[in-house]
Amino acid sequence: MNTALPEDITEFGAVAAKRFTRFGGPQAALQAETDEHLRHQARVALADLGALDLDVRSAEDDLLAAAVLCQAAGAAALPYPIVEELLAIDGARLALVNPEAPRIDHGDLAGDWIAADLDGTRYRVQPSSRTGAKLGPFLVPATLTEPDGTVPAADVDVHLTLGSWRILGAVQQALEITRQHVTARMQFGKPLSEFQAVRFTIADAAVAVRGLHELAKYTISRTGSTAAQVCSADALILRLKAADTARQVLRTAHQLLGALGFCDESDVSILDRHTQPLIRLPVSSEMLALRLIPGVRGGQLETLFSEPVAAEPV
Amino acid sequence: MDYDLGADAVELRKRLRDLISTHIPEGFLGACTDDPKDLATTESFCKLLASDGLLALAWPKEHGGGGGSVWQQTVLREEMWAHHEPRGAQYMGVNWVGPALMRYGTPEQKARHLSAISAGEVIWCQGFSEPEAGTDLASLRTRAIPDGDGWRVTGQKVWTSYAQMASWCVLAACTDPNAPKPKRLSLFLVPMDRPGITVRPIRSMLGPHHLNEVFLDGVEVFADEVLGEVGDGWRVMREALAFERVGIARYARCESLLDRMQNELGDDWDRLPESIRARWVRALIDLRVARLLAYRAVSLQDDPSAGPAASAARIATTTCDQQVAELLFDVLGPSALDSGTSARLHGAIEDHWRYAQAATVASGTIEVQRMLVARETLGDHG
Repeated sequence: MNTALPEDITEFGAVAAKRFTRFGGPQAALQAETDEHLRHQARVALADLGALDLDVRSAEDDLLAAAVLCQAAGAAALPYPIVEELLAIDGARLALVNPEAPRIDHGDLAGDWIAADLDGTRYRVQPSSRTGAKLGPFLVPATLTEPDGTVPAADVDVHLTLGSWRILGAVQQALEITRQHVTARMQFGKPLSEFQAVRFTIADAAVAVRGLHELAKYTISRTGSTAAQVCSADALILRLKAADTARQVLRTAHQLLGALGFCDESDVSILDRHTQPLIRLPVSSEMLALRLIPGVRGGQLETLFSEPVAAEPV
Repeated sequence: MDYDLGADAVELRKRLRDLISTHIPEGFLGACTDDPKDLATTESFCKLLASDGLLALAWPKEHGGGGGSVWQQTVLREEMWAHHEPRGAQYMGVNWVGPALMRYGTPEQKARHLSAISAGEVIWCQGFSEPEAGTDLASLRTRAIPDGDGWRVTGQKVWTSYAQMASWCVLAACTDPNAPKPKRLSLFLVPMDRPGITVRPIRSMLGPHHLNEVFLDGVEVFADEVLGEVGDGWRVMREALAFERVGIARYARCESLLDRMQNELGDDWDRLPESIRARWVRALIDLRVARLLAYRAVSLQDDPSAGPAASAARIATTTCDQQVAELLFDVLGPSALDSGTSARLHGAIEDHWRYAQAATVASGTIEVQRMLVARETLGDHG
């Protein structure tokens, strides 16, 4: 067993993080809310990294590279639908939606879109325009056609998984900002980090983030190499855990940053607002848990004691 | 990057499950029950494991070990705990007393103790905690006063697991109350039948043998019984306990109990309230995360970050213990409090709930684990 990412993948992640910092990090994402040009510049940054050429469907190393790229993008709140573009079908970006209330993050960007729900049912879409929302500022309501075939289940799985890596990057960055704040901010004559309640809260957040990181690595390492139903359960598990961890860690960040954390001059505010679509969509973590219920008895939700799941006939 | 435990570890898991199903009676809930047959079961099972080189699997072969890999050791830890620790009280000797002896023991101490531990012939207890020094062990008060070539030890230990059944104790005592705190303590390897030692069991919700008081009244200890250097007990204790960094594989017991309960419920599982089934899903996810955190800690081995990684794993797995205990009690509803062999899963769920209450206290409280994680995360030593 080797639980560490390959060195070259880690290096690629570091290069991506540097490039996104040069792009401007979360503050550039804030500007992108009102300056269209910046989203195009975000795409240029991705192109500079060779990210748009990654083959996440069939090249194992490319999938790993995409994972750390998404992690870096999440930490920077990069204002671009990188997962949707990496999983484009015939040049149309692939969005995951809830057909009952379809919303597409960055759906107003020029170019074709198609949508799929978690069952893999495919829809043609007609995005409308942005609503000026605080939470998910690039979120666009969309109209779906009648079902129009299916997309491969593996595409849905990779979509959920890479989106979870974006969430991972966002929560790691939120924890780092919080760490910096509590060690620098003096109250009652000493840094916040010397108060035990603060230390314990930081510890709990750190354990949650570590756990999500390990789960994300485990999931991406198995993608495509287990029975299809297990792979789909893995992706749902990761997304559920990512959403729950984000809720916990972002709450912690807000609480410990105090009023500063609500201000857009703090990256926590931007990370929180811009990551909300990934945390809430296409469905809530409660709905993800319900989708996983049949996997308990079916064995798709693997444990040390579950019987191996046979691969479905093609 | 891969999460393959390796063919030898997979094979070991199967072998252990076969051994357990053959030699451990159905409904076995560990050595610490009111039924003396359970203690006998663990004693004979330990000897069986020892004869196959499995009891001290991770030890070097020269000391009677199996020379197994860390992943084989991980599988052993998982399978033993999942099946209610059929090694009984032996794991303390195997997991940290033996490795500490290998590092700090004299040749005579090694010769005397190591083969006995690896053969499953001896039970050790740990005389650390005191009424006024639990988590803050460096402050313990039991005194070792020089007497001839050795010392006389007087004081009291508490919460000492297995003290009634143990034949040896690693006893921590203060040899120099005027020295700086880290230099006050020494560790002694003391037979439990030595005059002056009195054990009093403490009745508790955990069951017999778990908690005891040990009274030390002028107990004679000798120079050749010191583990490590005199005055170096605090460092030896800390480093020795690091051998047991990852701790108990509590997640494995939880996964096993959920699996057994699901099998027992059969189609009735589908009729459980949706809220319970959703909690079941979340419990399995949290257990997966706890397991992966444990694997990460194991994989780091001697890396400086291994300590905080193990603390993170322990926080995750001990909280899972309590989460699963509550979930299964809610599944059982009115029969949750039934105990004994006629209860569901032969009382395993009621037993688990009681034992889970100690999960965040025993072997380093969750508060201590949080302090260690916070210290690393914040990059300080506050």
